[in-house]
Amino acid sequence: MKKTMIALALASALTSAAHAQDMVFTSWGGTTQDAQAAHWAAPFTEKGGPAVVQDGPTDYGKIKAMVEAGAVTWDVVDAEYDWALQAGKAGLLEPLDFTVIDKTKLDPRFVSDFAVGSFYYSFVLGWNPANFPDAPPATLADLFDTAKFPGKRTFYKWSAPGVIEAALLADGVAPDALYPLDLDRAFKKLDTIKADIIWWEGGAQSQQLLASGEAPIGFFWNGRLSALQADGMEVGISWDQNITAADALVVPKGTKNKEAAMKFIAEATSAEGQAAFAAATGYAPVNLGSADLMDPAIRATLPDAQTAVQVNADMAYWADHRDEIGNRWYAWQAQ
Amino acid sequence: MFSAAAPRRGSGLGFAMPAILLLAAFFVIPVVFLLTRSVTEPQLGLQNYAALVGSSTYAKVFFNTFFVAGVVTLVTVLIAFPVAWALAIMPARWSAVVFAIILLSMWTNLLARTYAWMVLLQQTGLINRMLKAIGLIDQPLQLTNNLVGVTIGMVYIMLPFMILPLLGVIKKIDPAILQAAALCGATKWQALTRVLVPLATPGIASGALMVFVMSLGYFVTPSLLGGTANMMLAELIAQQVQSLVNWGMGGAAAFLLLLVTLGLYAVQLRFLDRKEAA
Repeated sequence: MKKTMIALALASALTSAAHAQDMVFTSWGGTTQDAQAAHWAAPFTEKGGPAVVQDGPTDYGKIKAMVEAGAVTWDVVDAEYDWALQAGKAGLLEPLDFTVIDKTKLDPRFVSDFAVGSFYYSFVLGWNPANFPDAPPATLADLFDTAKFPGKRTFYKWSAPGVIEAALLADGVAPDALYPLDLDRAFKKLDTIKADIIWWEGGAQSQQLLASGEAPIGFFWNGRLSALQADGMEVGISWDQNITAADALVVPKGTKNKEAAMKFIAEATSAEGQAAFAAATGYAPVNLGSADLMDPAIRATLPDAQTAVQVNADMAYWADHRDEIGNRWYAWQAQ
Repeated sequence: MFSAAAPRRGSGLGFAMPAILLLAAFFVIPVVFLLTRSVTEPQLGLQNYAALVGSSTYAKVFFNTFFVAGVVTLVTVLIAFPVAWALAIMPARWSAVVFAIILLSMWTNLLARTYAWMVLLQQTGLINRMLKAIGLIDQPLQLTNNLVGVTIGMVYIMLPFMILPLLGVIKKIDPAILQAAALCGATKWQALTRVLVPLATPGIASGALMVFVMSLGYFVTPSLLGGTANMMLAELIAQQVQSLVNWGMGGAAAFLLLLVTLGLYAVQLRFLDRKEAA
C-alpha cells in the first residue's frame, strides 16, 4: 500500500516535471543558480514564458550523450565559455537566433554563433587576513611564494582557463605574451607549490576552505569572495592581474523547446536581467546597458570596474586546445 | 533443500524475470554501448586501451586504485574482527544495541558521512584542534587530501560489509573449541591465531573480497578526502567523461575496472563453492 502511494507520488511528480509547456534550465547549483532562477527564470515566466524547471549540475558528458541519443532534456545550459565554443564547432549546440537575442547590446568579447555570455567573472587572489596580519599578499607572484606566505593554497581543480595563466603571470610572463600558453613553464611553476595545493571543486568548497583557514590563501571566483564579505567575513582581495573568464548560455542541439530557449536567453542577457543577476552574485554583466541600471557602489565591486588591471583569458585559444591542455593537466595532477 | 521435492534448477527464473529485464535494459545494454565507444572513439581500434596501459600516469592511477583498496581492506579486517568477535560473545541485549548502531551508520547518507569526516579531519578540524589543545602536537596533522583521509573515510564506510559476514561465521564457532584450546595449554594469543582466525577464515575472505571490490570503484570518498596524488580509477573516469567529454577513454577505463571486478567475483564464487563442498 505504502509502496503504491510512493509510486503514485513519484509518477505525478515526474509527469508534472515533464509537462509539455515547461522548459529546463541547467546550471551549476548554489547561489549562482539561485540568482539565475530569481532574476532570469521568474521574470521570464511572469512575462508569459513557460515555467522554467531548474536542473543541474552542468555535465558535458551528459550533454554529449543527450545530443547523440536524440533525447535532449536540457533546453538552456550554463556552461564554461571555452567549452561552449568547442562544443559549437563539434556540432553539439543549436546556432543562436539573433533575431530573438539582441546581440548589439552585448559585450562583443562574449558573443559567438553558438554561445553568448551568461556572466563574466574574474579569478582573483584572495586570502584570510587573520593569517597574514602584517604584510598581506598583493600579487600573483605572492600566491606562489610559500616562503613569504606559508600555508596551504587553494586552486580550481578542473582544467579551465585561469590557473595556468596565473602560474605564467606569477613567473614573469607579460600579459600580452601569454598565448600560446607555455605549458612546460606553467607546470614547472606549479610544481614549486604542488605539495601545498588543496584543490577546490566547486565554489562552496572554496569558500569553506578560506573561511575555515584550511587554505588561508588561494585563487577564487570573485563572486564567491564577495559572498563571504556579504556574510560579514573579512576577506582580502587583490584584483592585480585578475583573470577573466566567462560562462556561456547554450542550447543543446535537438531540443524540442528551441523557440522558448532563445527567448529565455534573450531575457537572461537583457540589461535588466544581467544587472539584477550581477547585483546578486558579484559577477559582471555581459550586457553593456546594465551598468546604468546598477547602484554605483555595487558596480565598484565587480570585475568590470577592474579592467585596468585585468587579463583576459583567451577563450578561442582554450576552445582549440581544451583537450590537449586537459590531458596534461590531469596527468600532472595525478603524478 | 534436499527434501522430498527438490526444486528444479531454473524454476525460479520466471519470478526473477522483471529484475533480469531491468538489469538488461539499464545495465547490460549501456555497458555494451560504453564498451563499443571505447573501441570506436575517436576511431576504430584499441588506441584508448593502449593509451591507458602505456602511460605512466594511468599506470599510477591503476596502482593507486589497487593500493588504496588493499590498504582499506586490510585495515577494515583488523578493526572488524574484534568487533564481530565482541558482538558474538556479548549478551544478546547489548549486541542488539551495537548492531543497531552499525546498521544506522550504514543507512546514513554517504555524502553526509563523508562531509562529516572532512569537518573532523581537516587542519582546522575538531581532531587537530583537540590534539593541539591538549598539547600533543604543535602543527596540525595532515589528515585529509591524502591516503590517510581516504583510508579513514572508506574503512568507516566498509566496516559493516566486513562485520556482517564475519559475525555469521564467528557465531557458528562452538565456544567449547576455545575452551578446549585453553585446556590444552594454548595461550590467548595462540587460541586466537591458531584456532579462532583459521575457523573464521571463510568469513574474513568473503568480507575482504567484498570490501576490496567495492573499494575499487569508489568515487565520492576518495574524491572528497583524498588528494589528486591518490587519484583512483573512478575519478579518472569521471574526469574523462565530465570534464574532457572523452567517452572513449572513460569507457575504456570503466571497462577495465569492470573486468577486474568480474575476475575477482569469479575468485569469490570459486572460493564459496569450495567452502560449501567442504
